[in-house]
Amino acid sequence: MEPVIRGVSYVLVHAPNLLVHYGTTQRLERHKDPDSPYLKDIYRNLRAYDTALAYPPYQTYIGNLTPAELEQVAQPWYEGNKVEPRRFGPYGEILPEDEFYAWMQRVDVFDLVWLEKGFLAEIKDRLGSHPLWTEEDTNILGAGKDREAIVKRLEDGSAVPLTLGDRLVGCVRRAHELDENLKAEVMAENTACKASAVLALRTLLKTNGVDAGEIEYIIECSEEACGDMNQRGGGNFAKAIGEHCGCSQATGSDTRGFCAGPAHALVEAAALVKAGIFKNVVVVGGGAVAKLGMNGREQVAKGMPILEDVLGGFAVLISQNDGRNPIIRTDSIGRHKIGSGSSPQAVMQALVAEPLDRLGLRITDVDKYAVEMQIPEFTEPAGAGNVPAANYRMIAALAVMRKEIERKDIPGFVQRHGLPGFAPTQGHIPSGVPVIGYARDRILAGEMQRAMIIGKGSLFLARMTNLFDGISFLIEANPGLREEEAQVDRETIRRLIAESMRKLAEALLREQEQGGE
Amino acid sequence: MELKGKKVIALGDRDGIPAPVIEACVKSAGAEVAFAATECFV
Repeated sequence: MEPVIRGVSYVLVHAPNLLVHYGTTQRLERHKDPDSPYLKDIYRNLRAYDTALAYPPYQTYIGNLTPAELEQVAQPWYEGNKVEPRRFGPYGEILPEDEFYAWMQRVDVFDLVWLEKGFLAEIKDRLGSHPLWTEEDTNILGAGKDREAIVKRLEDGSAVPLTLGDRLVGCVRRAHELDENLKAEVMAENTACKASAVLALRTLLKTNGVDAGEIEYIIECSEEACGDMNQRGGGNFAKAIGEHCGCSQATGSDTRGFCAGPAHALVEAAALVKAGIFKNVVVVGGGAVAKLGMNGREQVAKGMPILEDVLGGFAVLISQNDGRNPIIRTDSIGRHKIGSGSSPQAVMQALVAEPLDRLGLRITDVDKYAVEMQIPEFTEPAGAGNVPAANYRMIAALAVMRKEIERKDIPGFVQRHGLPGFAPTQGHIPSGVPVIGYARDRILAGEMQRAMIIGKGSLFLARMTNLFDGISFLIEANPGLREEEAQVDRETIRRLIAESMRKLAEALLREQEQGGE
Repeated sequence: MELKGKKVIALGDRDGIPAPVIEACVKSAGAEVAFAATECFV
């Protein structure tokens, strides 16, 4: 029986100060020209938390708006408060940066994240009222550090700062004196990734009423690497995340594939459940600090605020078929093969057409396609265009070539089978997975039959290959547990009992006969 | 534009036209590819 999508969560973390210190665009700019106007004015161009809360795509990501409702909001979305600024939504929340620093310290088990005493005292009450934060979490935080101790570590170069504007509130220390993989910047990046993933997994468990002890396996699928100088990407984020979510019965591992990581991880999770190896597998991904402010210079040059100001996180629970939740069709996974070729046509042929052909389906039989769901306002100023729209047009063009639609129907196809981009440019975060929550809800409501989730990855960035990558799968309405399977099971049980009784009777007879002799 | 004998730097886009495709195209028109890379802005 096919595995099902039992639950999802989506979280964002507003992180403007992490953006300033650790986003690669800002770091490179600081390296090249520390006095650049972009850096000089950077705080003026960042959005306050309340402004980010009112950003329509973010409200869509956490489920307070549907993508269809987002489409009705007038663009530009970043101007004015066009939707209600709500922190919590059905899928998760948008966490403020000061609380996130506490989450970073909470998940750090090597005393590397230090928060200043006064700051900790200020936010402890607020943390205590958070639905996912426990008294034990508060106790683990402790009393905090003296400001002087933090300043000393920053001055001797063994730590990097955690700030709120011009206020120093903490630091992240290095985990090794010489190892580049354990230096303070890397520890800050990895701890932020881990903390946002913990937030996503705790949210998944809570909002879907799942007992953490049910989780048997965790697949982490971000784009960070944790390890040391002898094994740069040794891992393992997965268990490190589960440890802070009560998943005491789980093990796990990390799967990487650039932006396609989540789609690969979901296929692996589906396979583990389908094979009966595990009943409940979580796929989880935290945020990418490096990508904060990625296109910030271009946005500011166009008179916009710096929009890429959140870390993303998500978690999906794949479970055995319950007869209710949407299924993952494991019988036809789309994959961009090594020999597929890199032209847009070859890519879409491999990811969209081939898996549909195997099932005898047409491109138009899929209600919605989940492609790269980047918010267009983020990428258009940098010249990368509207990424989801470009992907939908490629799928439409393939449908034209296959004579499923007319060329003039391309805009209509994009409208019917596409969605507006609503995910931040966080690499793996926008790649197909943001749509799973929406598709699951629509399928459960009987408003959608089928969606295709497509993950695409830029393998060439690692300079190991020029190859591109992608993997796709279909999710469909659950047809219910099949009657014949239940009957087969009952028949099998009857047969086994009958065989056992016959063997017992034969054994008794033999015993009697032997006794008679 | 005549590409024959020209040197070309090909910068592709992950969600648009990737570099290997541009490379194949300009090579077939007689150009020499000095550098080719696909970039990702997301």
